[in-house]
Order: sequence, then structure tokens, then C-alpha cells
Amino acid sequence: MTVCSAAFTGLGRGQARALGFPALPIAVVPHPFGIRTRDEIRTIAAQCVDDVARLLCETVVADAPTEAVGARAAAIEVADDLEAFNRLLLQRHWSDGLPAIPPTPERVERMLRHTHRAPDEVVAAIAPAFGVATVERIAINAVMAGCYPEYLPVLIAAAEAIAAPDFNLRGIQATTNPAAVWLILNGPLAKQLDVNSGGNCLGPGAWANATLGRAMRLIQQNIGGALAGDMDRATQGQPGKYTFCCAENEDANPWEPLHVERGFAREVSTVTVVGALGTWNMNTHAKDAADLLRVIADTMTFPASSDFVYAGEPWLILSPEHAHILHREGLSKADVKRCLWEQARLPAQRLSAKDFDRTRTGRRAELGEITRAALLPITSKPGHIGILVAGGPGTHSVYVPMSGHVRSVTRQII
Amino acid sequence: MAASMLVLDPAARPSNAPVQALRALDGLAGKTVGFIDNAKLNFNHLVDDLGELLVGKYGVAQVLKHRKTGQVPVGEAVLQDFAARCDAVITGSGD
Repeated sequence: MTVCSAAFTGLGRGQARALGFPALPIAVVPHPFGIRTRDEIRTIAAQCVDDVARLLCETVVADAPTEAVGARAAAIEVADDLEAFNRLLLQRHWSDGLPAIPPTPERVERMLRHTHRAPDEVVAAIAPAFGVATVERIAINAVMAGCYPEYLPVLIAAAEAIAAPDFNLRGIQATTNPAAVWLILNGPLAKQLDVNSGGNCLGPGAWANATLGRAMRLIQQNIGGALAGDMDRATQGQPGKYTFCCAENEDANPWEPLHVERGFAREVSTVTVVGALGTWNMNTHAKDAADLLRVIADTMTFPASSDFVYAGEPWLILSPEHAHILHREGLSKADVKRCLWEQARLPAQRLSAKDFDRTRTGRRAELGEITRAALLPITSKPGHIGILVAGGPGTHSVYVPMSGHVRSVTRQII
Repeated sequence: MAASMLVLDPAARPSNAPVQALRALDGLAGKTVGFIDNAKLNFNHLVDDLGELLVGKYGVAQVLKHRKTGQVPVGEAVLQDFAARCDAVITGSGD
């Protein structure tokens, strides 16, 4: 059985169903639970122990609607009217809140022509509901997001990537953090598809960026079951959960691009998925490498950061101008990571008492017993800092904090 | 009558079929109960208190505890150990 606070019973029930235990007993404790005093916890335990004992001894039978692996999507007849279609999406919780394109069989078929894979081929099971992402179902959501048909292979690769164990998708989909899946494209396909890597690459104006990121969100909720307010428990969320996609500005990158750094040939096209908590602009006119790195490291160092608690994978989007400053002084990408790792150190005494406890528990295997006097590294090793060069002219780089225990994953687009 | 169109269902249902029927206990006296603490705030205290109450009030013979490391899933060795030794396991889910 499991124990949930009242605000999380929907998540608990959904997870139980998804994992094949629809009748799992759930004992409920009041919410908020984490902020209670020690005495209040004793009272709650005394109040719920009888429930716990009863549930352990009670037989419950529940139906579990499941679906055959690789089943083709059902067709639904609706009025041939955009407003009516979008009302249907809202009623069935298939909408991200923006108007969508009707995924008619003809539109989906046009998209399916852009892959050699069969429509019923299973690409991945998407957490937390572990819905089956077939090629067809990915295409349906891509059509709804407004993707052009030739985008489909990107989304197939991205669906594979988010289901990789290292990505820890459950930690992204069901968290109270504002975790979004950030798609990064590298290689020649990014240019062929006009994925913006320059000015406003994370802003408006590029069809590919907007619709690819949006399709990923629809896949996460319609296939993965991470519906806002249901299994997606984000406290506020963030705008990046509507869409979060860009390419690396490889032309302006003085170093090897991200996919080459990760072992792919330069002419291969890839998509990288990152569990991003947001974008934090860093506007600095620093003109030498040491000054620039000091300012960036200082910005990355703050006490309410999940990166320090979990030894995460903090990311930086360096503007071409900032990357140029670092490169002209002879620094490699690995040098930059090491400098930042050495400088982004948080005095443990800046953490709240509870966050210090979480950090001590979460990083014990890596750091041993830490005290309030410790200087905490932002993550366990320099290589866990991600660096992307993107954007247009300007003195702005971006810090992208990460969701805990998530590692970015790169997949070739085929 | 308004014209209609066909659209394809974008949603997927869970793919995991029920893997086994849940087996209810015939009482708690003499049983071993395991707790998997999800490391969320205060759950360790709830585990301690529930463990004591289950022993004192219901005659549970033994309580086993394992605390997760943040969001990292529990390892296979711990799962196997709990499966072998426990009559029932109680997990924490969510905050």
C-alpha cells in the first residue's frame, strides 16, 4: 500500500494504475504534510494507523483499463468545425490550452510518410502513466501541435530519449517543480527544418521551435498522462511547459557542438532532451574570461537550488559573444565546465535547515557526512554541467537549473 | 445537419496490465511490515510513528525501513529483500 497527502492522491492512484496495481490501497494524510511539526506528525500517525491496518487486511478489486501494445488509434467523429474540435479537446483533457489542429486521418497519414517506421511500432512507454507511444500516436500529437510532417523523426527520437532510464521522466512529469522537457537539435537537420538557433531561439517567431516543443508537451500529457492538476503536480509550472525547443548555434560556436561532444559525428543530426526548470538571464558585459566565469558561477549559486540538493545537471546557454570571450583566452568547453564547477560553491550554512537535511541525505554517497561549514559543489563532477552555445548578438547568457536526479539524453534522429 | 470530420484519438491508456492480484493480510499480528520512505519531508517521522503503533496496537512483529535517496528509484536488491522478508510494504508517494 502507499501513503499520500490529500493533494497527491490523484497522483498515487494514477501511478498505481499505470504500474499495474489499480487496487493498491492508499492511506491519506492531511496536506500540507511536509511543513508539520514533529508533534503534529505524531497526531497524524495516531489518526491514520487504524486506516493503515484496515487497508492492509481489506480486499479491493478495481478495473484497470489497459490497451494492447501497439494498438492503432481510434477515430472519433466530430463536427467539422475548429471551435467544436477544440471544445472536445478541453472536455477530454487532450488540450494544452491553446487552439490545436484537428488530427484527421489524412493529416496523420501525410506525417507518417516521413518515417520508415510502421504506424503501430512502439517507440516507448511514457511515464508516469506508461502510455504506449506508437509512431502513429506521436504523429497525432504532432499534427495537433501544428508540426509540419517532416518534423516527425525528431519527435520519434525525442520520445525515445525521454523514456531512457537516465532521464528519470517520472521525476519530471509528476514533480511539484516547474520541470519542462527542453529539446535541443544539433546537426544538419536543424537547419533543414529551420529550427532557430539565433536571436530569440527560445522566444517566438520560429514555427519549428514553437510546434516541436509543443508537440513534446502534448506527448507528455496525452501519452504520458501528465495532465496539469492531475498527475502533473507542478506548483506553478512555467511558460516553457508550453514549448521549449531550440537548436545549437553551431556556426557561432567556437567549440565542438553538443552532439560531437557526446560522441556523434558532426554530420549526424540529434535531439537532446533536458529536464529544465526555467531560464535565468545573465546580462554581463564582462570582457575577460575570469570575470565572466566568476559572475556566471556566482549566479548559479543560490540556496533554493535543486542542483545543490540533488547534485543535478545545471545547464548554461552561452551567447556567442560570451563563448567567444572564453574561447579566445584558450579555454576549451571542458575547461569552462571545470572552472564553473570549482567556483559555483554554496556554503551549506546558506541552506534552510530542512534543505540542509535533504542535501545531507541526498548527497551522502557522494560527499560523505557534510556539516554546516561545508562548501557544496553544484554537482558531483564538472562534466555534469551542460553547455550550449545559442542565441544572437548580445551580452546575455542563460542559466538553466535542472530538475533533480535527471540526466539529459541525446538520440540520433533517423 | 452540420458536416462532420474524423479525428484520431491522441491519448494512450496505461500499457501495464495488472501484474498480480493484491493479497490482503488475514491480520497483522506476528507479521513483518516494510516501509519505503520516499525521503519527502516528515515521512521518516511518520514511518517511525506508524511503525511503533503497528507494533504496539496491532501486534506487528517486525518493522523494516528503507529511505530512498531523493528521486532515485529503489534498487533491485532492496526490492528483492523486502519482497522476501515482508508480509506487506508501505511506500510514501508524492509530497
